[in-house]
Amino acid sequence: MIERFSFVERGIHWMSALSFLYAAFTGLSMWSHKLFWIASMFGGGEVTRATHPWAGTFFALVLGFMFRQWASQMRLDATDRQWLKVSHRYAMNDENGVPDAGRFNAGQKMLFWMQSVSALLLFVSGVVLWNPEWMPRTLRLIAILVHPVAALGSISGIIIHVYMGTLAVPGALHAMVRGVVTERWAKSHHRAWFKQISR
Amino acid sequence: MIVAKLIDTSLCIGCKACEVACQEWNDQEFLKGEFFGTYQTAPDLAPNFWNLIKFNEIEQDGKIVAWNMAKYQCMHCADAGCMRACPAPGAIIRHANGIVDFVHDKCIGCGYCVTGCPFDVPKLSPKTNKVYKCTLCSDRTAVGLEPACIKACPTNCLTFGERDALVHQAESRAKELRADGASHAGVYNPAGVGGTNVLYVLKDASKPESYGLPRDPQIPLSVMLWKGPVKWLGSLALAGGVLGAALHYLRFGPKDEGHGDD
Repeated sequence: MIERFSFVERGIHWMSALSFLYAAFTGLSMWSHKLFWIASMFGGGEVTRATHPWAGTFFALVLGFMFRQWASQMRLDATDRQWLKVSHRYAMNDENGVPDAGRFNAGQKMLFWMQSVSALLLFVSGVVLWNPEWMPRTLRLIAILVHPVAALGSISGIIIHVYMGTLAVPGALHAMVRGVVTERWAKSHHRAWFKQISR
Repeated sequence: MIVAKLIDTSLCIGCKACEVACQEWNDQEFLKGEFFGTYQTAPDLAPNFWNLIKFNEIEQDGKIVAWNMAKYQCMHCADAGCMRACPAPGAIIRHANGIVDFVHDKCIGCGYCVTGCPFDVPKLSPKTNKVYKCTLCSDRTAVGLEPACIKACPTNCLTFGERDALVHQAESRAKELRADGASHAGVYNPAGVGGTNVLYVLKDASKPESYGLPRDPQIPLSVMLWKGPVKWLGSLALAGGVLGAALHYLRFGPKDEGHGDD
C-alpha cells in the first residue's frame, strides 16, 4: 500500500467537507421556499439561520488551511492543459491519449481553484449578509446576489466531486478516509505521481 | 377592499401624537431619548419604534426656512421588496385588505427583508432576532377600527379608508394646494413598487427627498435576479448535476484499474 493522503490532509479535507455540507444544506433551505423543509432537519428556520454563518466561517477557515497545504501542488502545467483538452475521453473512461496525471489530475486542480474562489466569495458576501445593521445597503445588495451564485457554483462542483470520489473512481474514497491506495490504483489513476514516488 | 393611509404633509404639525399612539397600542417600551440636534424623536425607526415623524429641515442660504414634516413608517407596497426577499414561507404575508404583515412565529431573523425593502423600514431586533415594522394596525383594522396613529391625529393630516377613494381624495387635495400657490404639490404613490398603501400629499412632490422619501423606490435589481433567473439556473445546475452523475454511472460506470497494468 502507498500513502496517498497524510492524516493532516485527510483531517482538513473532512472538516471542510462536513462544514461545507452543513452550510450547503442550511443555505439551500434559505435559498428557495420549496427547499425550506430542509431547515426542519437542522432544528428549524431560526436555528438554521443562526448556525449557518458560523458553519460558513469554520468552512472558510478550514479552506484557508487547505489552500496553504495544497495550492503549490495545484498549479496547472502543460500536461494539465493537454489533459483538459481530452477530458471528454477521460469522462467516457477511454484513457487513450489522456496524459498521465500527477498527484492531482487537472480536473481535481480545477475543482480546487473553483472551490477556493467560491469559498472566498461566499465568506466575504456572507459576512456582509450576516447582520444587515453592520453593513451599508449597497454592499448587501451585491452580496445578496454573489452569495447564492457562488454557492450554486460550488455545490454543483461538489456534486461532481462526490460522484467522482465515491462511485466513479473506486478506491478514491478509501484513499481519503484511510489515506492509502494500492500500487495498481496509483499506476492506473495517477501514473506520473506513482513514477515520481517510486523513484 | 384594499385599505390605505393618507398622509397629508401640509397638515402635519409635528405633534407626535401618532408616535405616542403607536407605542401605546402596540405596547412598546418608550425609547430612551437620543438628542441629535433636531426636534425629531429618533434618527430612525427601530425594532420597537415603528412610526417616526421626520422633521426634515430645509435650508436656504444657511438658514432653516421650512420644516418638511413627514410621518415615516412601512409603506405597505403593492409589490413588496421585503416579501420578495423573505426566505421563510409565511413569515411575511399580505392580508386581503392589502396590509403587509410580519408573522413573528415564522420569521427566522435572516434580515433579507431589511435589504429587500427600498424604504429601509424593517428593523432586526438583536434581542429577539426577529424583524419588526408597522402593521398598519392589522389587529385593529381586522375588527373595523382605524389604525392607532390615525385615531390620535388631531389635524386630519392622517386619513384611513378605502384605497381608491383615498387616491382620489389625495389628488383633489394636491389640486387644492396647487391652486393655493404650492405649484409642485402632488401625490406620492411610487409606481416602482406597484403603488403603496400609504399615500402622501406633498407640498413639493418634485422633491420627495426633502420629505425623507426615496425619489423612485424600486425592488432592487439584485433581488429580482436572485429570485428570478438565478433561481431557475441554479435549480437546473443542481438537478442537472445529480441527474448527470446518475446517467454517467449508468452509461459509463466506474473507472477500472486495468489500464494501468504494465
